Amino acid sequence: MALLQIAEPGQSPLPHQVKRAVGIDLGTTNSLVATVRGGRAVVLPDAQGAVMLPSVINYGAADSPIVGASALALAARHPADTLMSVKRFMGRGRNDAEEDARRSHYSLAEGEEGMVSFLTSGGKISPVEASAEILRVLSQRAVDTIGGEIDGAVITVPAYFDEAQRQATKDAATLAGLPVLRLMNEPTAAAVAYGLDADGQGVIAVYDLGGGTFDISILRLHKGVFEVLATGGDTALGGDDLDAVLADWLLQESGSGTLEAGEYRQLQASARSAKEKLSEAVIVDVDLSEVLPGGGIISVSRDKLEQMIQPLVKRTLLACRRCLRDAQLEEGVDNIVMVGGSTRVPLVRSAVADFFGRTPLLGIDPDQVVAVGAAVQADILVGNRPEGDLLLLDVIPLSLGIETMGELVEKIVPRNTTIPVSRAQEFTTYKDGQTALAVHIVQGEREMVSDCRSLAHFELRGIPPMVAGAARIQVTFQVDADGLLGVSAREEITGAEASVMVKPSFGLTDEEITGMLQASFSHAEDDKRVRQLAEQRLSAWQLLDGLKSALEKDGDALLVAHEREALADQMTELQSLIDGEDAHAIRQKTEQLGRESETFASRRMDKSIREALAGVSLDSLDDEVMQ
Amino acid sequence: MALLDFQRNYYQLFDLPQEFLLDQAQLGARYRQLQMELHPDRYASASAHEQRLAVQYSALVNAAYTALRKPLDRAVYLLELAGMGSEEISSQQVDGGFLIAQMELREKLESMTGMVDPQSALDRLITEIGEDVIELQGVFSVAYSAGEFPKAAAACVKMQYLDKLLLEAEILETSLLDG
Repeated sequence: MALLQIAEPGQSPLPHQVKRAVGIDLGTTNSLVATVRGGRAVVLPDAQGAVMLPSVINYGAADSPIVGASALALAARHPADTLMSVKRFMGRGRNDAEEDARRSHYSLAEGEEGMVSFLTSGGKISPVEASAEILRVLSQRAVDTIGGEIDGAVITVPAYFDEAQRQATKDAATLAGLPVLRLMNEPTAAAVAYGLDADGQGVIAVYDLGGGTFDISILRLHKGVFEVLATGGDTALGGDDLDAVLADWLLQESGSGTLEAGEYRQLQASARSAKEKLSEAVIVDVDLSEVLPGGGIISVSRDKLEQMIQPLVKRTLLACRRCLRDAQLEEGVDNIVMVGGSTRVPLVRSAVADFFGRTPLLGIDPDQVVAVGAAVQADILVGNRPEGDLLLLDVIPLSLGIETMGELVEKIVPRNTTIPVSRAQEFTTYKDGQTALAVHIVQGEREMVSDCRSLAHFELRGIPPMVAGAARIQVTFQVDADGLLGVSAREEITGAEASVMVKPSFGLTDEEITGMLQASFSHAEDDKRVRQLAEQRLSAWQLLDGLKSALEKDGDALLVAHEREALADQMTELQSLIDGEDAHAIRQKTEQLGRESETFASRRMDKSIREALAGVSLDSLDDEVMQ
Repeated sequence: MALLDFQRNYYQLFDLPQEFLLDQAQLGARYRQLQMELHPDRYASASAHEQRLAVQYSALVNAAYTALRKPLDRAVYLLELAGMGSEEISSQQVDGGFLIAQMELREKLESMTGMVDPQSALDRLITEIGEDVIELQGVFSVAYSAGEFPKAAAACVKMQYLDKLLLEAEILETSLLDG
């Protein structure tokens, strides 16, 4: 059989061509982008040499929003138009977010069900849209520095982020036009960043005190495989809270009354700067004369700060203890990785060192370590390291379940289960003649539905009338490697089926995202068509490319002649469609070829299972010989 | 061998003998090796169909590892392979002596909050339960290898009792530490 010619310049990347991959730390306070160059992960600076982009977006009168340091400079004068810490609002419902919004002096759009949005001079802005602006700036920075469009990005999220928050992050990337390879948990990314230098064995604890969240993860590293054993944390506790206690104390000491929004922002900034200085100095003077009406100079000692933040630090250690128990370790922790600027606070460092009985690793800047790890993972996923020297096995942070009778939660996938995971559970009808079943998916650890996070509702219809308890309804949860959930239900007797890819109740609908995307292009319709055609061609190339090399390698061994011919025919057909302009036809054919090549793909995976195990057996034989 | 066959028997997936006693290090090594090959990250730039397949395979390997990693889960899984469902397992008769001993252990646990030094009493209790568990695992292993499944199932039920008790002891330990 003649081999298919498929590599075309500019369309299908050559196998050895290095692809452009970035890791993005989309942080509460600051965001960063990093990439791997010449085998080393580096964070990318902007034109002025600044690496950290303040996660601040100003929606003023100007046509396009202002992002970063210049937006931060506007925060005091235009508090309502300048969005900070939007990560705290990602994927959250309005009721849920009200308290935080009040504290941050934002105006939320009134009378809205579902997702939060902020009222600004630039219109109603959702946290997803604001985050997309940050991603756009970082993506552009990467394009300028690396010199070309980005092939793939890994974006980090707090390990403790729930389904809705993850989906919101992915939506923001879609809006920003970034091809996302994977959402990666921040603590895991930090461990990977260190994993490269460490000798590659042992238990790692990652203590991540970010601006708005606290995460703790326990991982085991074994011959290039990072296995997350347990993860925990507190989504409502972060470095901002340390600043806030200090700010409140300063306010009290100054004797000033209630503050305007802008004044509070300035006070917070002063508090943060004082906290940072106290990591070096034992006492600092905070000058509030320009910040508060009648504010003077107030002295704060490190002791005073430590006394104030002690309860918060203790809360993080409680979470560490729970996580350690969940990890069910038989051995001790070998290394501690610190993430987030607030881990520079001496009290935090010493408390963590005391708790684990080890001095934390400090080799990589705690503000950059997450972006560095994400860049490494992006480099691997995009295919720049074919030998694949590293693999991450992550877990889901919160249990997933469904509502059963009496508003109780039946857990189907418990927290800290390694992903990807597929779990099924059987249910039945509770009334005679019941023909439909409502499935309510929730996330959380509590027993009552009202105490958990509601993720989605869907209905399974078409169950034939039977007596109560006779129907056999299998509900399957599948969580992919991004931690995103798909749920399907099937009635076993009739085969009636229903499924959803969970779009959380507070998320954006696909239509909304498409709408926003269109709005962001000047020639919406044309662009959309061009874009779709390009996307379909790309996935067709991907399939053909993969199949071609698979056939070369395993075609003779795993396929009989007529199977091989059938595939080759289909490939030729798809090949000729790609040269045409019909996106729909390409899509259909790609889908068909994909389905029909599944048996082959499955045989190849079975083969790799056998080979992998043969490899292990040989390895262990070697070990024995060595001993 | 294919996905479906592996679903039927996790021991075959890891190429391990179908026994209760297994080499944890070997199980872990094979688990990691299989994920190195099958995890979706290895297929990040493959076609959508292959990616979906990788998710299924990788999820299967995770499920298999979960079923075999911990002794109690492994015992339940082995009984399942022998044709015993969870209802049949829990319907096994447990001797009165064991139940009385259980009640005593439970009473000990409940009285601990009032003690002067609950922590060391709790440590002793946890050690005691741990020793019982090891003994039961021996009973299970021997009975299962001999094909005496009801006897193995009875040992499994006792292991479940003790597991629950250990969990409660751990919860108490946490509340002692937090308090």
